[in-house]
Amino acid sequence: MKMADGTTIIRRNKSGTKAKDFSRWPDEPLEEMDSTLAVQQYIQQLIKNDPSKVEHILTMPLGQEEGVWKYEHLRQFCMELNGLAVRLQKTCFPSTCTQMTATEQWIFLCAAHKTPKECAAIDYTRHTLDGAASLLNSNKYFPSRVSIKESSVAKLGSVCRRVYRIFSHAYFHHRRVFDEFETDTYLCNRFTYFVTKYELMSKENLIVPMNIEENAIPGESEA
Amino acid sequence: MGTNSASTGINNKPVSSGAVSVGGNGDEPNVNSNGGNPQSSPQYTIPGILHFIQHEWSRFEIERSQWDVDRAELQARIAMLLGERKCQESLKLDLIRRIKMLEYALKQERAKYHRLKFGTDPPYINDVKPPIDESGFPINDEMATESDIPFNAVTNTTWRQSRQILRQYLAEVGYTDSIIDIRSNRVKGLLGMNNADIEDNININLNGNERSILKTEEGHRTPSKKISQQINDAIIMDSEAAVMANFEFLGSNEISDDDDISDEFDLGSGDDAESDLKTTKRNKTKEIISEDGITNADAIRRNVITNEDEMVDSSGLGLGELAQLTVNNESELNYDGNNAKDTIYRKTWNAKYTLRSHFDGVRALAFHPEEPVLITGSEDNTLKLWNLQKTVPAKKSTSLDVEPLYTFRAHNGPVLCLSMSTSGEICYSGGLDGEIHCWKLPNSNIDPYDSYDSGVLRQTLQGHTDAVWGLCIYNNQIKGDYLASCSADSTVKLWSPNNLSETSKISSLLNSYSSEAGGIPSSVDFVRNELDRIVVAYNSKSTHCVIYDTETAKEIVKLEATHEMSGNTGKFINKAISHPTLPITITAHEDRHIRFWDNTTGSLIHSMVAHLEPVTSLAIDSHGLYLLSGSHDCSIRLWNLESKTCVQEITAHRKKFDESIFDVAFHPSKPYIASAGADGLSKVFV
Repeated sequence: MKMADGTTIIRRNKSGTKAKDFSRWPDEPLEEMDSTLAVQQYIQQLIKNDPSKVEHILTMPLGQEEGVWKYEHLRQFCMELNGLAVRLQKTCFPSTCTQMTATEQWIFLCAAHKTPKECAAIDYTRHTLDGAASLLNSNKYFPSRVSIKESSVAKLGSVCRRVYRIFSHAYFHHRRVFDEFETDTYLCNRFTYFVTKYELMSKENLIVPMNIEENAIPGESEA
Repeated sequence: MGTNSASTGINNKPVSSGAVSVGGNGDEPNVNSNGGNPQSSPQYTIPGILHFIQHEWSRFEIERSQWDVDRAELQARIAMLLGERKCQESLKLDLIRRIKMLEYALKQERAKYHRLKFGTDPPYINDVKPPIDESGFPINDEMATESDIPFNAVTNTTWRQSRQILRQYLAEVGYTDSIIDIRSNRVKGLLGMNNADIEDNININLNGNERSILKTEEGHRTPSKKISQQINDAIIMDSEAAVMANFEFLGSNEISDDDDISDEFDLGSGDDAESDLKTTKRNKTKEIISEDGITNADAIRRNVITNEDEMVDSSGLGLGELAQLTVNNESELNYDGNNAKDTIYRKTWNAKYTLRSHFDGVRALAFHPEEPVLITGSEDNTLKLWNLQKTVPAKKSTSLDVEPLYTFRAHNGPVLCLSMSTSGEICYSGGLDGEIHCWKLPNSNIDPYDSYDSGVLRQTLQGHTDAVWGLCIYNNQIKGDYLASCSADSTVKLWSPNNLSETSKISSLLNSYSSEAGGIPSSVDFVRNELDRIVVAYNSKSTHCVIYDTETAKEIVKLEATHEMSGNTGKFINKAISHPTLPITITAHEDRHIRFWDNTTGSLIHSMVAHLEPVTSLAIDSHGLYLLSGSHDCSIRLWNLESKTCVQEITAHRKKFDESIFDVAFHPSKPYIASAGADGLSKVFV
């Protein structure tokens, strides 16, 4: 804990904090974060301030290791996708969405099982998120949150591809839910920017139209 | 006639003796006994005889009363000696306790040292073999003076050894012998006859709090002083040298607990100053614990009393135990130093399971009442179910990773609190979104990737308009679970989530409680020995707890220390829990304290500095013997509730912003404890 310069800001959510005040504390500059979770803290701080500033949120600070940066962002995406899953649970039933589909082109098989199987959309969503949580927290592949092996970074792409299908299913089958969620979080927008910037997914797989996409990612080639 | 014969009888004596001295004149006594002859005994007049009798009688009387006085005196002396013996014994018991405490401190120290040196947690094998005692406290010093002689002989070699090692240690750290010498001189003075002066000295040197202790202990010192004077000189001379050794050693320790010295200590040890600081601080913490003002003085007094009571039963508890203690110490097996009574429960908790799967800080955890199963609630909006029997072998063989069995999704914001029903079938969770969800626990052998069953979410208790920060449960045999919740909307609500019929969703809210001052509650618990009451912690203008009657919603008792709490916002209560059997409420504070309150009078029983940073969470084992506390200083600590001493400290989690540990828990029936941290992990210790 920094105890310097008299005016110490204590960043804590004490018991009894009102929802509107939760995590509402002055920003801490990244260079002052001495925690092993500094990158997560930094990303969450940016998102909290304004989730619509997608580009700003995804601007990697100087000197940051890219693997960790991508890893922490993906953790954050999966975490926030829980919010979409909660909404889908109320509207997406195994009886109506028996398969995980977006457009009619593909039926996605759930990779969580020993032999991939045709799970209902809501199960696919849950299993994919659970599997992502399991992989991203795996002590084997990601034992540290400070430095990440190159071989483990390669795993991020497949997680991205799978979780993206949740966006696409919501967009094509539960548009109202998707829009509500997107208005609050800009999550799909941010995700699209993220995977494009770091080339984690090929462009033809990004089937959810993002109007911001064209003008927001001019530096795609440069990234 | 009677008098006459009596008089003649008495007359006989002097006459007959006279006859012996005269010799030969055997007739005279006969004549005399006939009482007739005035001529032969003219000197024996009746008044003379009477006077003689009176005189004799009074002499006997005086002698008898003298004997009585002597007897009384002797009896008093016996009583005194008995009392002194009792006192000695109780002191010895107290010393044993203290020694054990010191042993514990030393082991902590050694563990820290090991960690610093090798960068790993010590396997708790005796890699270094210094025997006992590192950090003596002033009190100890005093205590040792009083009753050292008895057990000195037993531990003498050990003491010497340890003294040597300590010297080496201090030399390494940068201590000169001169300091030690100063101390030893002081102690010599203390041993000498001018005790009072030295005591004054010490009084001046120590801070105010200790004074009260000194006073309480003076009571014991006086008798033992007498004893030491009565013991013959030879013995004193004999043992003095050894005693000196001890005192020199203890004395030098006392110094290392002084403020400025511990600073020097830190500077001296260079690079890892912070952790070192922690160590010394920890010592200090303990010191403070044992010095915490008035309440503590009382506690000590009480301690002595109880010890004396125990003496009656355990007078056979001789030096043998001390010897045993030393043996234990050498074999380094027992890690926690405690009351001799607790030997059965001695246990070192080690991290065994790491629960990784949450994306963000874990705010709450709850154990299943019987199974090795627990649920965690996190700021990533989910709850996860874990079965400790389903583990994945981790890279480090020391701990096992557990994969979650089930993820509960319904909250639209961080999950802040959890509570498990006593049947283990239902779990309740409260979140920042103001909702309380009731979950039906899936089978603990469920396939993690089974299909979604919307029935897992039994019902949602709606009523709070802001974040729900605290939940507690109590099972009524007839009516099922009662659930109390506290929220940032300033209310505490009592629910009866009817688990049997799902139609009664509306009527599940029973009552709502709010403070007259309109404060925001931060924690709630049922008063475990009076289940129609709840205790709620408020942090508005003043921080206090209120005990409500759940039926009438009236305040019954207010737990508040009036003078101590004056206008200090640092006393913020993070958690309040009720003792499972006694009318005691325990609170965890932002100002690093744990405080104990009497539910009947509302007064403060005990207050102790428990951590280096705010204490966030408390848990108490189902027997009410041990207390577990978690803090933002990244550590969890286990406390013996009776002695209020720290039994074990475990560094468990990392920091995120200024937060570290959010919750701790005891398994209700199995030997598991768990901690939940801001780093997104939970750990289970066995």
